[in-house]
Amino acid sequence: MVGPVIYTFGTQEQKDRFLPDILNFDTWWCQGYSEPGSGSDLASLKTKAVLDGDQYIVNGSKTWTTLAQNADWIFCLVRTETTQKKQEGISFLLIDMNTPGIEVKPIITIDGDHEVNSVFFTDVKVPADQLIGEEGKGWTYAKFLLAHERFGIAGVPVVKVQIDRLKNLTAEYNDADLNRKIAELEIDLEALEFTELRTLAAIAEGGHPGAESSILKIRGTEIQQRLTELYVEAAGQYILPYEGPDGFESNRTPSGPEYASPSVAQYLNYRKTSIYGGSNEIQKNIIAKAILGV
Amino acid sequence: MNLNYSDEQNMLREQVLKFCETNYDFIDREKILESDSGFSKDNWQQFAELGWLAVPFKEENGGFNFGPVELTVLFEEFGKALVVEPYLSSVVMSGTIIENSNHKNKSSIIEKIISGEHQISVAYAEPNIGYKFFDCYASTSVNNNILSLNGTKSLVLNAGNASQFIVLAKHDGLSALIMIDAEVDGLSIQSFKTIDGQTCGELTFENVSIDTDSIIASGVDAEALFNKMMDLSILCISAEAVGAMNASYMKTVQYTKEREQFSQPISNFQVLQHRMVDMFIETELTKSLLIKATLQLDSNDPNAENTISALKVQVGKAGRLIGQNAVQLHGGMGVSNEMSIGHYLKRFTAIDSMFGNTQYHINKYQTNQ
Ligand SMILES: Cc1cc2nc3c(=O)[nH]c(=O)nc-3n(C[C@H](O)[C@H](O)[C@H](O)COP(=O)(O)OP(=O)(O)OC[C@H]3O[C@@H](n4cnc5c(N)ncnc54)[C@H](O)[C@@H]3O)c2cc1C
Repeated sequence: MVGPVIYTFGTQEQKDRFLPDILNFDTWWCQGYSEPGSGSDLASLKTKAVLDGDQYIVNGSKTWTTLAQNADWIFCLVRTETTQKKQEGISFLLIDMNTPGIEVKPIITIDGDHEVNSVFFTDVKVPADQLIGEEGKGWTYAKFLLAHERFGIAGVPVVKVQIDRLKNLTAEYNDADLNRKIAELEIDLEALEFTELRTLAAIAEGGHPGAESSILKIRGTEIQQRLTELYVEAAGQYILPYEGPDGFESNRTPSGPEYASPSVAQYLNYRKTSIYGGSNEIQKNIIAKAILGV
Repeated sequence: MNLNYSDEQNMLREQVLKFCETNYDFIDREKILESDSGFSKDNWQQFAELGWLAVPFKEENGGFNFGPVELTVLFEEFGKALVVEPYLSSVVMSGTIIENSNHKNKSSIIEKIISGEHQISVAYAEPNIGYKFFDCYASTSVNNNILSLNGTKSLVLNAGNASQFIVLAKHDGLSALIMIDAEVDGLSIQSFKTIDGQTCGELTFENVSIDTDSIIASGVDAEALFNKMMDLSILCISAEAVGAMNASYMKTVQYTKEREQFSQPISNFQVLQHRMVDMFIETELTKSLLIKATLQLDSNDPNAENTISALKVQVGKAGRLIGQNAVQLHGGMGVSNEMSIGHYLKRFTAIDSMFGNTQYHINKYQTNQ
């Protein structure tokens, strides 16, 4: 996610410093956008960064931070100025998760997993050369990143694999109702995939993913969620036993098909996809405003 | 058509509501979920003292002779608070079968259910038969003049706490309901937590010897009795779902009034208002089918079976729509395990999966037409 921001807006020094490790999967990044009071209204964020000599002092908190517990770095939207227009005082900072003053607390989701966190910043000192682009221009970079993120969330290849897997798992059922629903999903996926290709073609000609990526995000996550519903439907009553994300103790296997229990966890977990990356309601607001002009 | 509840029924509702308000907030419930047994023995004892465990039983067996109406009142309130105590398995499922069976000691067994001393579970599902419960593999056989039971039963609700099981198995090639002690030799039980915070178990029977007295129903009688139990159980979990739907949309309305984004309560956004209206409409429609099914079951209407299927389908669809939207409108908070709202979604998901899911009952309804 942060890669495109660094290679588009970063200094040469920042590119040299961060990009190779990202490409090699040597450093893991997490996304510090959302705050308890600023989800959909992201630009209202309050985490403060004050320039003090050659470093920023950061105070505030981020929430829903995916995999912060494993991350080496966090890219953060911070407020460097209180401006009339809330979008204007925002800056984009790269922060080493090992910096003193950062505390990570787990948030357990409804599937029982630890995927997201609260991240608290108390007088965290961040070297000023870890600011991306210009101070106060963070919102531009943030939106640029979100468009890329939404593109990724569509997840067409993963869905394809998961549809094939479901077909294999349920082939022996000869369940006409289920097969029809899978076919309907595949048809929707075809439309989505070609929409994605059209967007990619536009990017290849020099464009950037813009409001169109909201189409991909909305339909992609709808398809993903419907797919998880079909897994649950196929597994029927055998979804009932569930002992958490680590599964069952090795000497105990619950009854029914093996995919049953992971399926219901996935179903619950994937409710997140229409919420994160800017909720699907917000995506529709974006399309209404940016494309339809209403 | 008089659809008003009687004073007695309203009192029961008040009583359950009050109990849940004082004993069943989110934190209380979390503690129960984390306990080994998965339910609260104190609560169960209170259920007994309040007479709730006696609700559906006949007077001659020490019950109140109440019917489906009172059960749905009870379950609606349970659904609002996401009560996990094993009322369905022990009172409704086992109770229905035992009371209508030819078990020679049924009065004394029911007495122990009513007093809260015993919990009994019905073992009907198996690993490989889906919802075709009568196509079971568990069966009796005779070896050296001893009648014994072999097979596996799955997803048995509250199995870890049951002192006895009523097992659906084949006997002489016909369906039979067989009563078996939990302690009997040859029976092993594995307990699991369920997705919605309850418990279930896998029972394995290896040459468990039984006497013919323990066969409490067989053949068409057993199947009729089992179907009766299923219908009433579907009615009860549907009532529970209606309660959960009610709670889900009301909590969502409340939350959106309190949560501010873009300098205003998010309840100002019309798209969210319409979504909540949809949730409300689905709740009302489900309630309608619930009442229809309740009255039909109460009067032994021959159409009841079909209405029960219709109800189960409505519950499945509405539960999904309401559960998902409740989570969606809570944003990130909706998927947090610390909020009750996601737990309603889990219960809706579990309810849909039990006793035939939405697609199963669409097909059943279609076939019965
Ligand atoms: C599993 C998960 C992982 C996440 N990972 C990250 C991460 O790594 N980094 C990060 O920064 N964030 C992350 N997020 C946060 C995510 O981006 C936010 O949850 C999201 O932006 C919604 O904000 P909120 O949760 O505060 O909901 P709210 O903004 O409070 O929204 C609540 C509801 O109101 C609706 N709503 C709000 N405004 C409007 C409007 N104007 N019109 C119509 N409807 C509206 C929303 O669509 C939603 O349904 C994650 C979230 C989840 C669930």
